Order: sequence, then structure tokens, then C-alpha cells
Amino acid sequence: MTVAADIRAFVASARKELRIMRRYPTLLLSVLFWPILLPAAAVLMGRAYSGSNDPQAIQAFAERAGTSEVTGFVFVGYAMYMWLSAMLWGPGSALRTEQVRGSLEAVFLTPTSRLVPLFAPPIAALPAIILDFAVIFPAMWLLFGVVLPFDAMLRAVAVAVVGIPALYAIGALFASLVLRYGEIGPVVHLTRGIFVLACGITFPVAMLPAWAQIGAALLPPTYTVADTRAVLLRGEGLGAVAGDLIFVVALTVIVAALASVVFRWLDRSARRTGMLGRY
Amino acid sequence: MSSAVVATELVKEFDRGRYTLWQRLRREPDRRTRFRAVDGIDLRVETGEIFGLLGPNGAGKTTTMKMVSTLLEPTSGTIEVLGIDVARHPREVRARLGAMLSGERSLYWKLTGRENLEYFAALYHVPPKDTRERIDRSLAAVKLSDREDDYVERYSTGMRQRLALARALLPDPPLVILDEPTVGLDPQSSRDLRDRVRDLRAQGRTILLTTHYMEEADQLCDRVAIIDHGKIVALDSPAALKQTIRAEEIVRLEIGLNGDGLGLLAQLGRAGTVARQQQTNGTLAVTIHCTSARDLVPAAFDAARAHGATVQHVEVVPVTLEDVFLSVTGRELRE
Repeated sequence: MTVAADIRAFVASARKELRIMRRYPTLLLSVLFWPILLPAAAVLMGRAYSGSNDPQAIQAFAERAGTSEVTGFVFVGYAMYMWLSAMLWGPGSALRTEQVRGSLEAVFLTPTSRLVPLFAPPIAALPAIILDFAVIFPAMWLLFGVVLPFDAMLRAVAVAVVGIPALYAIGALFASLVLRYGEIGPVVHLTRGIFVLACGITFPVAMLPAWAQIGAALLPPTYTVADTRAVLLRGEGLGAVAGDLIFVVALTVIVAALASVVFRWLDRSARRTGMLGRY
Repeated sequence: MSSAVVATELVKEFDRGRYTLWQRLRREPDRRTRFRAVDGIDLRVETGEIFGLLGPNGAGKTTTMKMVSTLLEPTSGTIEVLGIDVARHPREVRARLGAMLSGERSLYWKLTGRENLEYFAALYHVPPKDTRERIDRSLAAVKLSDREDDYVERYSTGMRQRLALARALLPDPPLVILDEPTVGLDPQSSRDLRDRVRDLRAQGRTILLTTHYMEEADQLCDRVAIIDHGKIVALDSPAALKQTIRAEEIVRLEIGLNGDGLGLLAQLGRAGTVARQQQTNGTLAVTIHCTSARDLVPAAFDAARAHGATVQHVEVVPVTLEDVFLSVTGRELRE
């Protein structure tokens, strides 16, 4: 019952998910397709509404978004959206799949920490997320002529690495609900919608009413999205966003602690009601 | 002999009925009731034996197994597995327990047999240096070594059940728990799996299994607890349980009636013990326990003739656990 054994179980769990994904190769098509199609449509729509790069419109956008790089702003937002979707629903989806398949009880019969089946499967989404970014940047260059500096991309990766645990923790919070309520997909979709609206995924947070901006300031993805854009599109260094990153880490600790408590509480509830084996 | 499992005054209650959000908002009264799936079970499974919980569907067998294996929390009562308190140290219990509760559904069909076991070996905290050897041994124990690299989706149901058993053996457990291990299997696969279970006992492991197949309990178990409505109604070796019937043979008759059959039943009751009788559309089906069918059957024909009835079907069978269940519950196991 050592931490090392749980880490090995964690790695095995992620590897199991990757093996299963590998046996459905057509899933990769969507990874290549959507990261280009969705943002490209939004960029073209934006250009049509603004009179195709009208300087006045670009200036108005820059005042609200902090950058005049509309294409980069939208593409980064959509990349974050895909990332958010995968991480937010990953843990819950993994638990739900195990529950419906009938393997959740078998996993919970082992001595491994209950947090392993909660946190490990979403790791399998990371290659797809990395592939999203790998597709997006060449697409921006090939379709819209936007070239992002390599060092800025490295800084964006650093921002992303700090942001991943926060999304993980939020995802785990939702996943806990699977143990008690089974199907929570609609709740996750609603939350994802709220995050898309509140966190500046597709438009600047400055466009929100003042009260909504206060709410947005409490959500870790708001900072991750804004900081990714800052380092990629405005060329800012990590020092300029360090305050945000520290705040994200603090929020992560709070949400992770909350998720852990809620998970243990609902796990106990599921063992009282027999929900583990029902769906 | 030490005990592998000790359950004391075990109770599990569930809610029956629903109390929806809409009902709560409308402040309707909560009409849910509590029912006892397990109602005060005392159980002691000795080390090295095959112990069976026999009962119909819904009797409380699986609920008991889930409590023993830490998946369900008892409403009251205590369980010790291999001397460890299940409520206080569930992870320690799970580390020493091999359990097969949901059979083939609990496997990953898009992985091979070996890949499934590799994954679960890690979850069971099998040391990496031992993993290969442990998997090889588990696969050999269930005779699946030659199919280890096939996807599980290509296995037959029996093979999947055996793989689930192989998974339960990964932690090299002194106690193996099997919930309805042969359900859904053809006779050959069932026999095969029972042989594997006997092998486990020969290795010195303790087996706790549930079944609603009386033949399985009879052939496989050293001791059987008959469970009904959450209570243990009889517990002993299969042979000793059958001796409680106080009959050598069972005669089942179907008699076409000409009247209400009460006089006929009274006369049959003098020839043996009427364990069960049911009238349907003028036909009386009756089960009689007796010392000798050779004496009872002619007497039954005479009795039928005397009451203007006709014996349509006669079946003489040895005493089974089904009859034990019938005698202690008044119902058939399959009802």
C-alpha cells in the first residue's frame, strides 16, 4: 500500500486508456478536423462582420482583447476550449464509462487508491490535446499567415502546465458526482458552456457585464486562457503573468482539496446505497 | 481451524421507492420505505473450505458478498476477513482478497487477456518483478495461456468468466470470492470452471461463492448456507442438509382430479410427507418425501383410484438441496 505502488497503478491506468483509444484509430480524425474547422469559421465570420480587417474594427477589438491579432486570439481560445472539454469531462467520463461497462466495481475491489481510477484515465487525453496544438499552429500559418515565435510557444506550454492541475481538479469535482448520480453529462455540458462564456474562450472577458467579470476572476481557466494569449500574442514573459500563475495554483489547491473531500464523501454514500454497481 | 470470514449480525437496508426532486419541491410526503436485503446474518467461513451461499435471486447473496468485499457498507453488524476488520481497514482486506463479482462485464473487451491482467496486476500492487510470473500462473490456472494475446471481445462467455477468475487470482489471495461464477455458462464451461474452483481449494485457498444452482452447491461446496429473504435458514454440509429431510427419496406426482382432492391429499399424507401441493385446472401436483418410492407409488395409485382421480405423471428423484430449500422455506428455489 505504498505511494509508489499507487503511482504504478496510475501509469497502468493511463496506459490502459491509451491502448483502448489506439484500437479506435478513426477517433484521431476529429482531433485533426475540429481544431481547424471551428476557429477558422469564427475568424472568417469575424472578418465578415468587421469589414475584413477594417483598421477601426481591429482597433476596437484590440482595446477589448489586448491584442490586434484576431486570428491568434480565436485559435488560442478554441484550443483552450478543446483542452477544457477534455480535462473537465475526462475524469467523469472515465468513471462513467467504467460504471456503465461494469468494470468500476472490479477496479474498486483492488487495494489501489480510489483516486487512481479518478485521475489516471484523463491522462490519455493529453496526446490528443498536444496534437490539437500541433495542428492549430501550422493551420494558423498555412490558412491565415500567422506565425507564432517558438519561444512564445514554449512559454505558452509552461502556462498550460500550470493550468492543467486546475482543470483536473475541477474535472475531479464533477467526476465525484458520477458515484452518486450516475449520468451527469448535462451538468458538465452546462458548466462547460458557462466556462466558455465566462473565461474568455471565444471573446474578451471585457465584453462581459461587470458582475460576470467578478465571477470569471474566480475561475482558473480565465487566467490560463488570458496568460496563454499574453505570452503567445503579446510576447510577454513569464514574469509578467507570474502573479496569475500563483493565483491559479492557489485556486487549484482549494478545488483539489474540495474535490478530494467530495469524492470521499460520495464514495461512502455510493457504498451505502449500492450506486457503484448501478447506472 | 481458523476462520477466513466472520460476519456477525450483519444487516443491510436499502430504500424502496422513490422520492424525486419534483416530489421534494412540492413538499409531498416521503413514502419511501426501508427494506432489509440482509437481515441479521451470522456467518463463519473456515479456512480452506468451499463455502456456498445458496438462494434464489434477491435472497441477499450478492449484497452479502459486496459487504464482505468492501463494496457495500453494512447498515449494522461487523465483518472480519482473514482477521481484519472490513470497516476499519478496507484497503488491507482488498489486498488479500480475490473477488469475481460481475464476471465478463468487468473486463476490458478491447484489450487482450494479458493486457487486462497487466492492468489489474498494477491495481493489485503486484511488484513489477513478479508481474509476468503472476500473470502466467493465473492464466495457466484457468487454462487460458494459449489465448492470452487475443482480444477479450473474441473470447467465449466461458473464457471471459475464466479470465475474470484469473484476475481474482492475481494478488495470490488466501480468500477468493465468487458471485454466481457459472451463471450464463453452458454445461461444459460450468464444469470446467468448477474444476478450476476445486483446484483453488487444493492450493489451500478459501472459497466463498454464491449460487442459485443447487447442483453446483451440492457438488462443489464443503458447507452451504441456504439464504432466503436476507436470512440464513439452514447451514451445514450438503449431505447433512439433505439428511434433515428425513426421507430417502422424493416422489413427484401429477394427478388428474375428480373433486377437490382433499381426501386424496390426506390419504397421500399417510403414505409419506406431503412437502408441496398445488392445484391448477383440475390437476394436482404434489411432492412427497418418503423412505421408499417402491412402497409409496403403488399406494398413491390406489389412493387416486379410490378418489376417482388419475395419476398422470410419476417422477422419483433423490433428495436434493432444492428439497431442503422447499422444506425450510415452503417455496421452490426457482420461484
